[in-house]
Amino acid sequence: MFEIDRFSRKPIYEQLIEGFENEVICGDFKEGDVMPSVRALSQMLSVNPNTLQKAFQELERRGICKSSMGSGRYIAKGAMAKVLNLRSSMLNEIVRISYELKTSGIKEELVHEAVRRAYKNDTDVSENKEERKNSEG
Amino acid sequence: MIVASHISKYFGSFAALDDFSCSISDGCIYGLVGSNGAGKSTFLRLISGVYSSEKGEIHIDGEPVFDNMGMKQRIVFVPDELYFLPRCNMQRMAKLYASMYENFSYEKFYRLATTFDLDIKKKINTFSKGMKRQAATVLALSCNADYIMFDETFDGLDPVMRNLLKRILYADICERNSTIIISSHSLRELEDTCDQLAMLHSGRIIFESDVMNLKTSLFKIQVAFSKDYDKDTFKAIDMLHYQKSGSVATMIVRGNRDEVAALIKAMNPLLFEIIPLSLEEVFIYEMDALGYECNEVLL
Repeated sequence: MFEIDRFSRKPIYEQLIEGFENEVICGDFKEGDVMPSVRALSQMLSVNPNTLQKAFQELERRGICKSSMGSGRYIAKGAMAKVLNLRSSMLNEIVRISYELKTSGIKEELVHEAVRRAYKNDTDVSENKEERKNSEG
Repeated sequence: MIVASHISKYFGSFAALDDFSCSISDGCIYGLVGSNGAGKSTFLRLISGVYSSEKGEIHIDGEPVFDNMGMKQRIVFVPDELYFLPRCNMQRMAKLYASMYENFSYEKFYRLATTFDLDIKKKINTFSKGMKRQAATVLALSCNADYIMFDETFDGLDPVMRNLLKRILYADICERNSTIIISSHSLRELEDTCDQLAMLHSGRIIFESDVMNLKTSLFKIQVAFSKDYDKDTFKAIDMLHYQKSGSVATMIVRGNRDEVAALIKAMNPLLFEIIPLSLEEVFIYEMDALGYECNEVLL
């Protein structure tokens, strides 16, 4: 289960929505899975149950989970596709960042390289710094 | 549901509360923030029926509280200055509480005392300040009251205990739909706990809001353009604050984040970033907009 960052500027409500969506993407929550109760989650994450309730309402509105009398709250059919669809709008972020890089004079090749690295799961940026330092030295 | 309408409370010529109104719905955590002397404790004492107001009325579920025994069964208050019987232990105090609160649960009392690691047979006057607070909190929670009030209780607890107490309160809300009111002079203390926050100053609420709305409806934007621009460029946006240094402008904006983002992106900015505000910043800007000098209100 994900954790809440209390020092983040991001509201807890938004962290909850993002957290649950991530659980769906990485397959920890599968379609039809029953979700833990508000009570259990509020204890697990140390979050106000009313905030959790509101986050669930938003997830239901987005069609990621459903609740029904008796069977509790469960992950809706097609939840994964919905989250992926929502997340694909993040591509715009790449456009924005790339534009920023372009205007600050970074070569297109390097941006491509960075994306390629991310897709090879090579996301350890700190190590790279180390390497660069070594090669410079 | 607690409804306070136009209450005033005077101590001599000093108005501790001045035409104060608010309503607190059931099952929520309501935070009262304000500096010393803002009226937080006075308000809590009025809700719990310790004081009677000179003007206005406080009703809980439609009933007045003052001198109302039945209603007082449903309210428990952990004051700033704690009271324990002289030279007694927690077990003795539990007996006292149980004699007054019909719903007092010894089972809960033993369970919570164990959770907080308090020795119920030890004299309370040998407890540290923080332990006394915990003892009072355990006793109050064992009463199973519908309305639980804490006057600056969180401020005296260490982070581990605070987290523990929060989880106990959350469970209480889930199980019994209890209503919790917490006062504090520090906004940061309440930020991640409360559903609703009220800012008190000179005996009035100067600002009250849903915490979620607060943090999502107000945000900071940093933007830069290649061409010349000034404040008028953003006429269409509801701005609380605008500051430009060099070519980068920083704005505090109220509204729908996606709509504002679309509006600015259409202007083709060089740099554009939306930064969520901390609750403290939100309060500072909101209060600024209301014409209050924030450093005289916030600590």
